[in-house]
Amino acid sequence: MTQRNEIVMLEVTTDWYLTLAAILFSIGFLGMMIRKNALIMFMCIELMLNAVNLTFISASKHFGQVDGQVFVFFVLVVAAAEVVVGLAIIVSIFRKQSSASVDVLNVSRG
Amino acid sequence: MIEALLFFAPASLIIIGALIVIFAKNPVHNAMGLVMTLVSLAIIYITLNATFVAMVQMLVYAGAVMTLFLFVIMMIGVDKKEQTTDSIKGQTFLVSGVFLILISLLAYVAISSDFKWDLWFPPVEFDAEGTPQLIAGVLFTEWIFPFEIISLLLIVATAAAIALAYDTKKRNSNA
Amino acid sequence: MYQEVKLEIIFLLPIFLPFLTAIFLFLNKKLFNELITNFFTLNSALLSLAIAAYSFIALALDKFKPVNVELFQWISNPDISIGFTLDGLSGIMLILVTGLSFVIQLFSTSYMEKDENHCNYFVYFNFFVFSMLLLVMSSNFLVMFFGWELVGLSSYLLISFWSKKPAAAKAGNKAFVINRVGDFGFLIGLMIILDTFNTFDFYKILQNTSGIAESTITAISLFLLLGAFGKSAQFPLFSWLPDAMEGPTPASALIHAATMVTAGVFMLVRISPLLQHSKIASLLIIIFGLITALLAAFSAINQFDIKKVLAYSTISQLGFMFIAIGAGAYVAAIFHLVTHAFFKALLFLGAGAVIHSMHHEQDIRKMGGLRKKMPITASMMGIGTLAISGIPPLAGFWSKDEILASVFVNGGIYYVFWALALGAAFLTAFYMGRHWLLIFEKDNGFEHSDVAEAPKAMTRPLLLLGIFSIFIGFINTPFFHGLEKVLHVTLENVEVTHLPKGITLVVLAVLSIGAGFTGLIIAFLLFGMELHKRIDLKKFKLESPINLVKDLSSNVLYLNKFGNLFFVSGMKNLSRKVAVVVDGMLIDGSVNFVSTAFNKSSKITSTTQTGLVRNYVVYFGLFLLLLIALFIATPLVPR
Repeated sequence: MTQRNEIVMLEVTTDWYLTLAAILFSIGFLGMMIRKNALIMFMCIELMLNAVNLTFISASKHFGQVDGQVFVFFVLVVAAAEVVVGLAIIVSIFRKQSSASVDVLNVSRG
Repeated sequence: MIEALLFFAPASLIIIGALIVIFAKNPVHNAMGLVMTLVSLAIIYITLNATFVAMVQMLVYAGAVMTLFLFVIMMIGVDKKEQTTDSIKGQTFLVSGVFLILISLLAYVAISSDFKWDLWFPPVEFDAEGTPQLIAGVLFTEWIFPFEIISLLLIVATAAAIALAYDTKKRNSNA
Repeated sequence: MYQEVKLEIIFLLPIFLPFLTAIFLFLNKKLFNELITNFFTLNSALLSLAIAAYSFIALALDKFKPVNVELFQWISNPDISIGFTLDGLSGIMLILVTGLSFVIQLFSTSYMEKDENHCNYFVYFNFFVFSMLLLVMSSNFLVMFFGWELVGLSSYLLISFWSKKPAAAKAGNKAFVINRVGDFGFLIGLMIILDTFNTFDFYKILQNTSGIAESTITAISLFLLLGAFGKSAQFPLFSWLPDAMEGPTPASALIHAATMVTAGVFMLVRISPLLQHSKIASLLIIIFGLITALLAAFSAINQFDIKKVLAYSTISQLGFMFIAIGAGAYVAAIFHLVTHAFFKALLFLGAGAVIHSMHHEQDIRKMGGLRKKMPITASMMGIGTLAISGIPPLAGFWSKDEILASVFVNGGIYYVFWALALGAAFLTAFYMGRHWLLIFEKDNGFEHSDVAEAPKAMTRPLLLLGIFSIFIGFINTPFFHGLEKVLHVTLENVEVTHLPKGITLVVLAVLSIGAGFTGLIIAFLLFGMELHKRIDLKKFKLESPINLVKDLSSNVLYLNKFGNLFFVSGMKNLSRKVAVVVDGMLIDGSVNFVSTAFNKSSKITSTTQTGLVRNYVVYFGLFLLLLIALFIATPLVPR
């Protein structure tokens, strides 16, 4: 029983990767909520996307299929597109109010 | 043992880097923390047999995307410090509430499953490396249609970025 | 074989040619002046007539074997398809509609001259012709129903053609609403047909009548009958037709005298194999036909509008056709339809010429003595009057005599019907004689110095129709059964009531001629020689009965007032109450409640919409966590 436990401890299973992804996602989400700088918020989004990528890759290994890795490519492209557009938005916001804080932006207030 | 080491070393670097991203005050430090996370993730990918994805992660994310971030940071200026106090009423309360729920959910899942995630499906023996050949074989046959669409998205995003960042006022005054 | 294939394509042309003309004129109505419009519409009508005549001759050479064309099948089960047929019955109607359409359009070019909507008139007119041909040429009930509804629409458009006149707009609405009552019955009849026979095709339905229960056939017949009553203006759905005279007179001639109102008769003859299995339906048809014939004839004797007299006379003559159908004399019904179409179109066009010359004066009391001013019109209308009165050898005599004889030959209660119909024939002769005498003969003390004969474009159609009104009766006489041969295939499985033989026929003919002559002579005595002024009415205590008759006649036995009081006012009151209670309180209240509820609740919830990105992130996270919690509580894959 003890021996089996030891082996389990040493073997790196899929759970571990998923746990890591969950932690990474949580950190990213926390950052989204507490930071005001739009730039940092984008970095947090990157963190969350990477957590998802990690899930895909570990699932790809777990199920023995390449599809997960192909999906990572798609996520990557979407992330790149999002970063490009997002940074352009940040630049134009900055031109207007010379600060990247999102808290002053409440045009869509209900 | 080596396997565990190859997991824990990058994993701890990932978490440290992520924490730097969300807590550091200087935007350049944030960016460096993100680079650290991304590079460590690439190492994890290699241990998961996804070598090509790891390379792309290094090139695209740690290389291109982060360079873009740094450009923008330099443009906006690093000296702009954020206020430490929250300007939105009740935001701190809400954030702590949501985070508490998140932590308790994670804890519940961990404890109820005896610190072992039940994945329902047993792992499949799969040692093939994620080489460019392997991925291209799937990407250009089975996933060709999504691939084409995603490339279109990229073009649209590029055009949108140009349109957004193009300062008409400035251009007109210059001309 | 070659002949058949060719005919199948060719007989569709007259149907769609008017439609194309209507569209063409509608698209170019701003562009075309009157001359160009006339050119296109007349040529199109003439071409239609020529093709129709060719088709009819080709059909006659083929011994009236029906030619069917199925354009396409809409639904295979139940069998619903768009198709047309050319047989004896629809062939006659094809010739009749295209022929009269041409003649009346020729008349219209002059009558509608310098009207501001000249082109629109011909658009509607051509559209009507198309609808009517759709109705008569259909090979199934569905296409017939299309045509049925479209003639209603185009009739509405033409009645309220001068829609700036309130009376015209109102009359159009009245016609439409009353027709709707009939169409409702027609539609229900169609539903029962589809349910019973699983098809709409005439031939398939009419050949399978033997296995169907009589109650079903009676139900179908009665509902279709309601539709026929509405379209053919039979009691109790007749009051729209006199009002429909607000439309242009040539349109009235084609629609409300010659063709559209006969659609009901046509349809009943079409379904005659069904009708003959239902004794109740036949009896109802003859009773309602009689009521209509008598009531309308009675109403016509004290009308003073030149067109309303003709309208009531049309209703009365349609009643005669229904009598013929009820008596089983389907050939006689179609025969009377054809002859009536010619002499009634003649009378209407004559009335139109008179109205035109009188500068749109329609009151016959203000006319009188016009015979010398308008000799051609007067003589042609005289022919029409003699024809409708049943004087031999004009058209009306042959058909009306055939109807009366067919009623008589049935025996039993039909002797009473025959006597009543004879009375209606007498009344017809009387009021038509009065009509002609009041317009053309009697001197009412008005100077008509500016009245002249109508232009040639009007008199030529009159002459043409006059000739036809004299000779068209010879297509089906007791000596020559032309029409019967034409309809032979169509009415193959139908027991048609035949004329009596020998001395009975002669006696009946003499009686009906006598009725016609008596009516005309009494009219002449009263209105030509003004006999009633020479004798002292009070001495014979006749004044109050005569006034009563006049009063009842001009008010149509107060049926309209009764109908207005009972249906219109009652409905108005009911709907007003419904408007206040259901609409005002229930529906408006609930709608208002919903809107206020939304308004207030949205004001509360809108405070959450701060417009701050980070607040939204928190909301998003909150609900994401709720979703995850839900997944943990209820796993997607059961363990």
